[in-house]
Amino acid sequence: MQQDEILRLCRAFQQEGLHYVLIGATAMAFHGVVRATEDVDLFIRADAENVERLRRALRSVYDDPEIEKIETEDLLGDYPAVRYYPPTGDLYLDIMTRLGEAASFDTVEGEAKEVDGIEVRVATPLALYRLKRDTVRALDRSDAAMLRERFDLDEEP
Amino acid sequence: MPIERFRSGEEMNASPARAAHQERSDEENYQRFVRHCARMRRLSKAVYPRGVYKFRTVEEAQAFSRTAHRFGAQEREQPGEGD
Repeated sequence: MQQDEILRLCRAFQQEGLHYVLIGATAMAFHGVVRATEDVDLFIRADAENVERLRRALRSVYDDPEIEKIETEDLLGDYPAVRYYPPTGDLYLDIMTRLGEAASFDTVEGEAKEVDGIEVRVATPLALYRLKRDTVRALDRSDAAMLRERFDLDEEP
Repeated sequence: MPIERFRSGEEMNASPARAAHQERSDEENYQRFVRHCARMRRLSKAVYPRGVYKFRTVEEAQAFSRTAHRFGAQEREQPGEGD
């Protein structure tokens, strides 16, 4: 069976030693909280070598010169959120080094999941809940409510 | 337990079946997610732009999604220029 695109990405991240953690609906799915999504949200550690690891990983999955436009100066500077739409057209990646003033790779607790022999780093349910509970987007608030219910999280916003 | 009956939505939501995810493996959880996303794509195929875009905030990225993503399409756009 052909491995699906998200797993191919995660395998490439693992092979390149990328420091990352999945957040968002894809991460929720690894915890059994399933809703449809077509974006893969991830925090990466904010350093130049790690951004290069990300580019190498993406190049190993996609033959796409656009990947070179993912620039260290942006992710470490004024543009902490970079979105990449790969040529497959079925999903896109939101790559972040920080979210507002508080959240970043270093502040989000992650854990390892294993699928098809691939280790996938995902934010814990509590970390996901904390990321989502205070946002204004209705979808995030709904996700937060689901996480809170499923995992008996008792933190109030 | 193929069939359960409920007197109310609240009773349904409290059903133990809702907690089934706690007994699934990582693999099963993930495959369920993949199947669910595939169903969504069959119902309403999204068409995305191509390339790399950069944002100062997540709110900027979300606003871009609202204007740049199209849903319910049958075919993909040809690759275009990113920014």
